[in-house]
Amino acid sequence: MFHREAGVFKTSYAADMALYPLPIARWTVAVLAGLFIVVAPLALGTYPLSILNLVLIAVVGALGLNILVGYSGQISIGTGAFMSVGAYTAANLITHLHAPFWLAVPAGGLMAALIGAIVGIPSLRIKGIYLAIATLAAQLIIEWTINHVQAISGGVQASITIPRPTVFGMALKSEAQIYCFLMFFVVLALVATLNLVRSRIGRAFVAIRDQDIAAEIIGINIFRYKLYAFAISSFFAGVTGVLESYYLGIANYEQFQIDVSIDYLAMVIIGGLGSVLGSVFGAIFVTLLPIVTRLFLEQFGSILLPGADLLNVIPNLRLVIFGGLIIFFLVVEPEGLNRLWRNIRNYFRVWPFSY
Amino acid sequence: MTKRSRSVLALAAGLAAGLACAAARADDKVLIIGDQCDRTGPTQIVGTVLCPAMQDYYRLINSKGGIDGWTIKADEIDNAYKVPEAIEAYERQKQMGALLMTFYGTPQTVALNQRLEQDKIPTTSPGFGISAAADGKRFPYLFPIAATYWSQAAAAVKFAKDQLGGSLKGKKIAYIYYDNPAGKEAMPILEALQKQEGYELRTFAVPPPGVEMGAQIIDVTQRFRPDFVIMHLFGRSPSVAIKGLKGAGFPLKKVVGLVWASAEADILAAGGWATAEGYNTLQFAGAGDDYPVRGEIKAMYKKDGKDPPKEMADTVVYNRGLLQASIQVEALRNALKISGGQKPTTEQVKQGMEQIKDFTLGGLVPPLQITADDHEGGGWVRIFSVKGGKFAAATDWFKAYRDVVEHAVKTAE
Amino acid sequence: MPEFDLQFTLYLLTNGVMIGLMYALIALGFVLIYKATDAINFAQGEFVMFAGFIAAGTAELIHAPFWIAALLAIGGMIALGFALERVVLRPLIGRPVIAVVMATIGLAAVLRGGAVLAFGAGTRNIEMPIPDDPIPLGPVTLPPIEVVGAGVSLVFLAGFTWFFLKSRTGIAMRAVADSQQVAMAMGINVRRYFAFAWAMAGIVSALGGIVWGALIGVDNQLALVGLKVFPVVILGGLDSVIGAVVGGLIVGIVENLAAGYFDPLVGGGTKDFVPYLLMIIVLMVRPEGIFGRRRIERV
Repeated sequence: MFHREAGVFKTSYAADMALYPLPIARWTVAVLAGLFIVVAPLALGTYPLSILNLVLIAVVGALGLNILVGYSGQISIGTGAFMSVGAYTAANLITHLHAPFWLAVPAGGLMAALIGAIVGIPSLRIKGIYLAIATLAAQLIIEWTINHVQAISGGVQASITIPRPTVFGMALKSEAQIYCFLMFFVVLALVATLNLVRSRIGRAFVAIRDQDIAAEIIGINIFRYKLYAFAISSFFAGVTGVLESYYLGIANYEQFQIDVSIDYLAMVIIGGLGSVLGSVFGAIFVTLLPIVTRLFLEQFGSILLPGADLLNVIPNLRLVIFGGLIIFFLVVEPEGLNRLWRNIRNYFRVWPFSY
Repeated sequence: MTKRSRSVLALAAGLAAGLACAAARADDKVLIIGDQCDRTGPTQIVGTVLCPAMQDYYRLINSKGGIDGWTIKADEIDNAYKVPEAIEAYERQKQMGALLMTFYGTPQTVALNQRLEQDKIPTTSPGFGISAAADGKRFPYLFPIAATYWSQAAAAVKFAKDQLGGSLKGKKIAYIYYDNPAGKEAMPILEALQKQEGYELRTFAVPPPGVEMGAQIIDVTQRFRPDFVIMHLFGRSPSVAIKGLKGAGFPLKKVVGLVWASAEADILAAGGWATAEGYNTLQFAGAGDDYPVRGEIKAMYKKDGKDPPKEMADTVVYNRGLLQASIQVEALRNALKISGGQKPTTEQVKQGMEQIKDFTLGGLVPPLQITADDHEGGGWVRIFSVKGGKFAAATDWFKAYRDVVEHAVKTAE
Repeated sequence: MPEFDLQFTLYLLTNGVMIGLMYALIALGFVLIYKATDAINFAQGEFVMFAGFIAAGTAELIHAPFWIAALLAIGGMIALGFALERVVLRPLIGRPVIAVVMATIGLAAVLRGGAVLAFGAGTRNIEMPIPDDPIPLGPVTLPPIEVVGAGVSLVFLAGFTWFFLKSRTGIAMRAVADSQQVAMAMGINVRRYFAFAWAMAGIVSALGGIVWGALIGVDNQLALVGLKVFPVVILGGLDSVIGAVVGGLIVGIVENLAAGYFDPLVGGGTKDFVPYLLMIIVLMVRPEGIFGRRRIERV
């Protein structure tokens, strides 16, 4: 990360596969982790923490979607629906059985994984755009089902109120407490993803992404691995849904509609397909983008656009900037923020002797 | 580093510099109101008129010297009808020190209610949110201030009854609704009244976005053939329904639209005033141009040498914005009395809100009486019908079947 | 099950046919792009919306009569098609399908925000110089605006069928769609035909925007009709002009029958849901759609 290496000679496969080959890399990661895990909740106010909490939730979902889209090469426009599956599963468990969070979170994830695997079945026969449209259909069908089956949705309002999670007998009321709670799951998700993509399964995913027929010929059961990809990715989405519901105190399908699926797709594309760090960057970027553009335009809008009705211009301009940036990244930097970060790092690695 | 990376970096640096300057500035005698709005999302058709109206009203009050010398600062954030955006907006406005807030959108209101109780910030949510929030004991910080969907449904049935000669026994009522939680919310009241009044009720779902509903219109007009139609639609769908019913030859004077199916934009998109002649709309704020406050706002614009904004032409939604802003201002005025001229606390603003009565803004606002128990203020509505190119009042302010509605509020989960 | 009623069913069927042809009008733009350039346009609804905004906006701002406004909308959409192809789509040639999908999703956001910035947020009407009174046809009546929409749809169907089968440009476009490399080797200017396809899609979208805008009014909700495109094109086949029309008819009829006969049973709107269900079944059984061409993949 923020270091320059020299004389690295790997002598074993284990060393080659290590996540952080250098001691100094391990130290930087430890310092960063300490900064975010310990210092941030103590030092920051409620408002910045509430933004960070939204980012943390998005990180989990973006990691999950990147496993599917970035590593396995399958397209899904149904993340929002899988999130709502997780959210409603957990909400029903919590209200009817008073399930604690360590039960509700994985249960939501598992139910989403199950539904996700079912949605993934068509991926055996179809791919690319057809699969994208099939997941879009799944999104609409799941929304419809939740809206109309009151046994799931808990009434006409289709929203189930859930209390804040309780850890060691203490209800997590403040933003800082929730921050630590969410951070725990983010770390879990990061470690799980980092290791998954280095495993046999992860390599099979990449093989399928790069050329599925070839992958099949070298002995990968592509149907099974495609279903794994859908299930694992949906598990992450389900957990994201549960976490978001815990954070908001409510499960409501209207907060998991198609625009959410699109936001998550934007995260993995802007962040960088097939990259863990990219997912994190993407989640941060897409969550902060509307907030930052608004702050920026509120400050400088009256100078840049004199006489305009700013309250009307800002939200629409924000929409244009959001769409424009997606296009910009696709056209100019297809490998996303992750690539940008690597470019910067590589520049400084040999700095000042760049040639 | 490549050239394009460098340009991206420069852009990022510029943005960061902008952020650094964005520190909040605080004035002394300022009362902060936090408004959420939807100017870009699925309900922008309402937000783009409602929110400017609120801003105009605050500006009007400030131009007249504020509230007892206190200036209003209204911070508006577009939540695009998304929940995470709403959370961020809420936390930001809380940090700014907002004494009073407005939410926008049902899921957003439901999601933020828990925080309200934790932070004790009174908030208005007219025309959306939870009908049960009329109960001030259970939802202490949420103020619907306008007739909820339940009150609206009850009033619509009452109106149908009056139009059909005083009895609904054996009559057929069609309920055309948007197939989402908000659309379905009115159903329990219609079903309860069905038992009481003895009418036959059939419901017709219009799935969002409802830009095409030929089949439902045929079902209503050719098969069910109702005596009266109650429409609870949103967005683009009311105009599609009006056009469809008209095209099928159904008399529009036998149709009443609940509050989000009743704006000028709906009439215009349905094909204009002549097409919609006779259509009845349910309003929680007076429609039309004949209110002194609208004159004052026009005068304010004239003084600045500007034409009145074109949002004013959509009188229905614009006036709702005025209603909401004016009630907020009244609550602050009352709160300043309670605090004895000091900067009020949010708790005092809540009390101020619960003292609002006899405030009609020249007939634009119904005779609301908000109390600690009743945050709805009575559930008043008024029917305006399309007549000769504008909305004409067809009834006075009225409320109906309060026992049924209150029972529903009490027994709501 | 509600009792079968011939008159009622006839009404539903006619409405289904008319609306189906109107859906086909939107789907045609989508199919054109896919057929010629292999790109999936998730912003088709926004294209239609933008065209509606141009037509209604110019009519309001410069008091243009309907025909002028319509021509301006067509011209504007052709220009937009060319510009988009040049700026957005051309750099993405040869990139994975997700890149194009996402680019058009981004485009959708830009168009939605941009239309409001350019023309304002209010709802507008498009006044078509046609009568309002329904046209009687045997036992049923037809709304004139839908008749116009259906007519335009059929004209395009005939026109494009001829175009792709007989005209030089159309044959070249099919060659490009078949294999870009081979087409280039045969001396076909691939880029020119890509631009051409986007411009043609612009024309179709412009007419779709005018007809749909006249039907339901113009604001950024108009873009939502775009969601109907997917079941239509999947049913008919992504690359088939006739498929778009047949798919449109199937979706129109199925959703009308669903609304008439399923809704009372399940107590909810099944209209938008049934076409998608049907679509998934088709995807499982015959992914290339009814008229689509099967593609053989090689390592």
